[in-house]
Amino acid sequence: MTEKTIKISPVTRLEGHGELTIKLTKEGKLKDIQFNVGSTRFFEKFLEGRFAEEAPRISPRICGICPEPHHLASVKAVEAAWDVTPPPAAVKLRRLLLNAKQFSSHALHFFALAAPDFLAGPLGDPAKRNVVAIIKALPDVGKMALEMMQFGQELCAAVGGKAVHPVTAIPGGMLNVFSEEKRDEFLKRSEDVVQWTLATVDLAKKVVQDYWDPITKLAVVPTYYLGLHNKGNLEIYDGKLRVMDPEGKIVADFKPENYRKYYGEYVPKYSYATHVYYKPEGYPKGIWRANTLARCNVADQMATPIAQDALKEMRDALGRPIHATFAYHWARIIELVQAIEEMTILLKDPDIVSTDLKLSDVQPMKGDGVGCVEAPRGTLLHHYWTDDQGIITKVNMVVATNNNIAGLELSLKEAGKQIFNQKAHESLKLPEPMI
Amino acid sequence: MAKRIALTQLSSCWGCDQSLIDLHLRLLDVLPELEIVYWPAVVDYKLHDLENLPDNSIHIGLVEGSCRTKEDMHLLEIMRAKSKILVAWGSCSVFGGVQGLANQWDLKELLERKYMKAETVTDPRIPKENLSGFTEHIVPNPELVEVDVLLPGCPPTSDNTLDALTALLTNKPFDLPAKTVCDQCPMEREEKNIKQFKRTHEGKIEPGKCILDQGYLCLGFATIGLCGAQCPTVNTPCKGCFGPPPAVTDHGAKIISALGAVADMDPEELQNAFPDPIGSFYFTDYASSYLSKMRGKNRGKKK
Amino acid sequence: MTAATQKTVPSKSKKKRKGKFEPRIVAFCCNWCSYAGADLAGTSRMQMPPNARIIRINCTGRIDPLFILDALYQGADGVLISGCHPGDCHYTSGNLKMRGRFVLLKKLLEDAGIDPERIHLQWASAAEGDVFTKGVTAMVERIKKIGPNPLRKGD
Ligand code: SF4
Ligand code: SF4
Ligand code: SF4
Ligand code: FES
Repeated sequence: MTEKTIKISPVTRLEGHGELTIKLTKEGKLKDIQFNVGSTRFFEKFLEGRFAEEAPRISPRICGICPEPHHLASVKAVEAAWDVTPPPAAVKLRRLLLNAKQFSSHALHFFALAAPDFLAGPLGDPAKRNVVAIIKALPDVGKMALEMMQFGQELCAAVGGKAVHPVTAIPGGMLNVFSEEKRDEFLKRSEDVVQWTLATVDLAKKVVQDYWDPITKLAVVPTYYLGLHNKGNLEIYDGKLRVMDPEGKIVADFKPENYRKYYGEYVPKYSYATHVYYKPEGYPKGIWRANTLARCNVADQMATPIAQDALKEMRDALGRPIHATFAYHWARIIELVQAIEEMTILLKDPDIVSTDLKLSDVQPMKGDGVGCVEAPRGTLLHHYWTDDQGIITKVNMVVATNNNIAGLELSLKEAGKQIFNQKAHESLKLPEPMI
Repeated sequence: MAKRIALTQLSSCWGCDQSLIDLHLRLLDVLPELEIVYWPAVVDYKLHDLENLPDNSIHIGLVEGSCRTKEDMHLLEIMRAKSKILVAWGSCSVFGGVQGLANQWDLKELLERKYMKAETVTDPRIPKENLSGFTEHIVPNPELVEVDVLLPGCPPTSDNTLDALTALLTNKPFDLPAKTVCDQCPMEREEKNIKQFKRTHEGKIEPGKCILDQGYLCLGFATIGLCGAQCPTVNTPCKGCFGPPPAVTDHGAKIISALGAVADMDPEELQNAFPDPIGSFYFTDYASSYLSKMRGKNRGKKK
Repeated sequence: MTAATQKTVPSKSKKKRKGKFEPRIVAFCCNWCSYAGADLAGTSRMQMPPNARIIRINCTGRIDPLFILDALYQGADGVLISGCHPGDCHYTSGNLKMRGRFVLLKKLLEDAGIDPERIHLQWASAAEGDVFTKGVTAMVERIKKIGPNPLRKGD
């Protein structure tokens, strides 16, 4: 046998343009895995010269799956640069928007992107290993999944104007009132959604039991973790950033505006997406991961009761910190629960239909500001500099996915070693596929 | 019988896909009509599976995104060859998309900002290994290959895509309307006589009344009426993300023409109100503007 | 912004090969005053550079900014717009509308990296044939300094 390079192009069921280059030695052992992200569109450059208040319209186009976090990180960055504090009711509406996205994205990710592997088996036929096939084979699960996504997406549209690329957040508040009729409608619908979410928790538990072997054995990769929290609670809209080291120690706890001290961006030779890491530790030692599991690791507890029970269950089973890459799916379900609980609380809050949503006097000024939120796939940070007319002069952005790519690559390398070198997949206990 | 369909993403945000998925339960009516032969977002087929299909074997090929990389160009050409009906899906595909705004700069400057000068970058370099390389500037897909159907929108609404698919699946033509967002907009209008333009964060937009009449730049008048006036309906100015109606060849020229007619202002005031006309008048379609094409041709000549 | 400062400078070799550069100007003239002025310039044998191609329109208010961009796109080195003096427009305010459009267009060209001096707006009346002639002459001089439109066809 000679040295061999395997290309997997494209990496599927993942948004963005990824390819894998897998290099094997003569003996067929794993030499290296590269995750090649094949495109980027240079938002950080072409936002220059634009009206800063338009950045929240432009930047959602970075990601159509999670445009709401970009919309809000963007508006928060401008508000920070202009020293503007939006009215409390506007902040509640934004939180509702972000949680609605968190919910639909997690549901989409679980059912359309991840579940096919669990339900059809990771080695299943590609024609069957997808959500379309799941819908055909398990119509009840499929229908429930679609209705959960629908609830989240329609709530996004009701608050943001459009589910894909929302438009209503503006420096100084929100442009559109959330009507009482809409509030009542979504509050009513949320009752079913809570039930579906609990059913999803049960489904996830079954998957966890069935796949206990791969979850606990395959791709268990100790890294640093990054995530937002608010007084220790898992938080997605506003808070402080925490970094946890592989041993589980909190090594940094800082305001997002001080990110430059902690964030390093390594530019790999072979990927258009940079690898973000914990700067004080250097690269690759300081590689961190963000996203669901990272948030669940850095937070002391969940912000809502049912989600907290679910987190406790996961920690009882796997500890803290959890390094098992497959536990990301579990953590996703825990966050799904928090999202619906928070939405319910917000929908019941009388402020949510307030008409006092926007300051009437918002003045641009020269300065810079950081806006940071948690996107479903991890911590998202926008940093803008504006001139005294409120025109953007410079932009730095660290998007959610880039916090995960290096960690993802590590997980793939680990799983790759286990599979190519130790033939781990042959000894792992896998259940019979459900479809 | 189910028709063979492929959905591909060039450089894009995947929002067009998300918008299609947002048909939710209605997907259950559409899916049985389709045999998906390629859709990396959802199905595990690989690029070589697509490359190995016979030419013209796909009934409908949807292309989202624009050509920012050489790999994108390759994919676009394959999709053209394999598809009987090639659909430019979304404003990225039809006009070059929001990333077309980058055509204001040379590629070198874009790369520098991102990889050499970004605040957090610790070891600057321009990635090259196992990567296809970038295109110098963005050229809209219909100028690169022959496209059969245009469906603009950023993203097209779920219904827009459903309507187009339904028409194409039943061998009916799919034509774009000549109407504008204003034609679809429920806001109350008056005689336009604008004395001053306000920026969106200034003051408060009064609900129910035409946003342009209130002195905010709302581009509904120059934008194709396909979205159902989504933004003005939620008290937010239209930024023109669906591009102009089919007869208008340059969005910005159309907007400037209209502003000249409705603005009752000194020329300097008018100019000061729009210090960034490219960003204000060409949101997702700068790459298809005359100006960007001029600069693009110029770039070609310099080399 | 670098885009704004970039000038469309022709390469030297081309200039040499082509010999002397004769700008091609497209002049949009309003029917009521300016075109009469241009006509007068012609009939009274005033010296006018042969570079301008005159297109007659009813009123400068009818010039779609698209025409101007299109002319440049097709390779015109410069575009001159000539209308009635403010207050004299046959349609009351067509020329004022043009003036608003013109300033926006100029800024647009500048930001796109195209020399905004390639377009020019002037006022002339029916009796002012010389104003028109002078306008064309000055435009030709200006464009000679800027150099040919890189998109010029036929070279
Ligand atoms: S057209 Fe808009 S929604 Fe569609 S891919 Fe492009 S940026 Fe995303
Ligand atoms: S300008 Fe805007 S608000 Fe006014 S009618 Fe048109 S789309 Fe509606
Ligand atoms: S109203 Fe305008 S900006 Fe909003 S979705 Fe429609 S075309 Fe796009
Ligand atoms: S009639 Fe001459 S400019 Fe209007």
